[in-house]
Amino acid sequence: MIPAPFDYAAPATVEEALALLAEHGDDAKIIAGGQSLLPVLRLRLNAPEFVIDLGRIDALRGVRDDGDAIVIGAMTTHATVATDPLVAEHAALVGKAVRTVADAQVRNRGTFGGALAHADPAGDVGAPALALGAQFVITGQGGSTRTVDASDFFVDLFETAIGEDELLTEVRIPKHTGWGAHYEKFVRIAQQWSIVAVAAAVKAEGGTISEARVALTNMGSTPLRATAVEQALQGQPATEDAIRAAVGAVADGTNPPTDLNGDADYRKHLAEVLTRRAVLTAATG
Amino acid sequence: MDLTHSFTVPASVDETWAAFQDIESVAECFPGAQVTSADGDTFEGTVKVKLGPIALVYKGTGTFTERDESAHKMVIDAKGKDKRGNGTAGALVTASMESVDGGTKVEVVTDLAITGKPAQFGRGVIQDVSDKLLGQFVDCLQGKVGAGGGDGGPEETAAPAAESAPGASTPAPDADAAAAPAPEQAATPQPAAAPAATAPKSGDDALDLGATVLPVMARMYWKQAVAALAGLAVLGALIKRLRRH
Repeated sequence: MIPAPFDYAAPATVEEALALLAEHGDDAKIIAGGQSLLPVLRLRLNAPEFVIDLGRIDALRGVRDDGDAIVIGAMTTHATVATDPLVAEHAALVGKAVRTVADAQVRNRGTFGGALAHADPAGDVGAPALALGAQFVITGQGGSTRTVDASDFFVDLFETAIGEDELLTEVRIPKHTGWGAHYEKFVRIAQQWSIVAVAAAVKAEGGTISEARVALTNMGSTPLRATAVEQALQGQPATEDAIRAAVGAVADGTNPPTDLNGDADYRKHLAEVLTRRAVLTAATG
Repeated sequence: MDLTHSFTVPASVDETWAAFQDIESVAECFPGAQVTSADGDTFEGTVKVKLGPIALVYKGTGTFTERDESAHKMVIDAKGKDKRGNGTAGALVTASMESVDGGTKVEVVTDLAITGKPAQFGRGVIQDVSDKLLGQFVDCLQGKVGAGGGDGGPEETAAPAAESAPGASTPAPDADAAAAPAPEQAATPQPAAAPAATAPKSGDDALDLGATVLPVMARMYWKQAVAALAGLAVLGALIKRLRRH
């Protein structure tokens, strides 16, 4: 179908975009890469009167080094994040997860910040961001910024801490240089949304896991951090048996969906298996 | 597709029954829902549904096909249609109330009949969404029904015993599974978190599915509920479509 008619603006600065957002309020919709919004418009599931395109705001693109963190601009495409050397060196988990997003076309158009703001619980960018303790820089009216921790950013299904008149502008990811990382995604058909996926980053020294970060995709209405598993992994040898024992209860307390791809119990089983694989691969390469 | 929800309010059956007769008042508990007209056993209303990128307005009509005060049971037959004609949904909602220890247990069974594309999808999202909605709706209702003696003072703090029959609620994390990795944010069942008697949202707020999901089920009582149900159903389908299966 063809979207309902709407007015369109492509401002060159964040300030202009915020001003437009304030002006049009509820009638406006922000478009980043458009890989989720356009299908919605075409299905006429939404018919905003005004679409604000962030695509010409160059300041929102790119990855930079900022001391103990790397900073990814919200409009940086998945393809850029997937191949960026800073990401590969300091936040390999993010790069690996992003490589599994949909297909090459979507990765070339879709943006890191857009996917995070969209907050689909089956999306592949939330779990690695949560696992690595990302901080979300949100810019509000007047250019004021606030920083929200990943643990507070994801509120619910498709809902984040971003306010109606605010924009997600940057994501800061603390450096995890030298950590092993793996994103284990389970799908039945290529380019599908994750049925379940597990993001794991592991710091291993001399065959022993000294620290681990684990987060789950599509096991609830938001990405979930498996902190108890992280603690259980600490100090364990990086062997399959030890990891199997430590991650056994990863699905406890989760509330995965039941749908045509599998019921909740099936997903809980998957979470355990995938966590074992993800941690083992992250720990041993 | 049958969806069942039940909850308990701290009021007598008669009070609860009476509270449910006031469609407009109940509608206030529904962010996004508005009764535009009510005439005897028939009413019309709209429900604005917002979930992430989706924003829809459903118009619906409903009819009380049964209102049995002695049995405290009411049946509402409702139909909702997206304003832009994308989908329709019908819902047959049966609400029954019975006296239990400390209040009144309300059970709502909704038989959803969805036409069009949404029909091919399961109920996963609909259940999630409806559970959330119900939780919020019930909190508000409890405030209204239970605060009778409170004189508008501090809200009653009694947590609504919202339980969703379909078992979709999150199991409480096993407290003694010490080594068990309870994922940080996973565990809390949503309904318990909402404060009782949240301020009624103004009628023209969009139902924010993310935050305020459509209390669809709860609405059984009103047409809006019905319309919302339709919205929910379509939404569920939508969400799936969004995922480009």
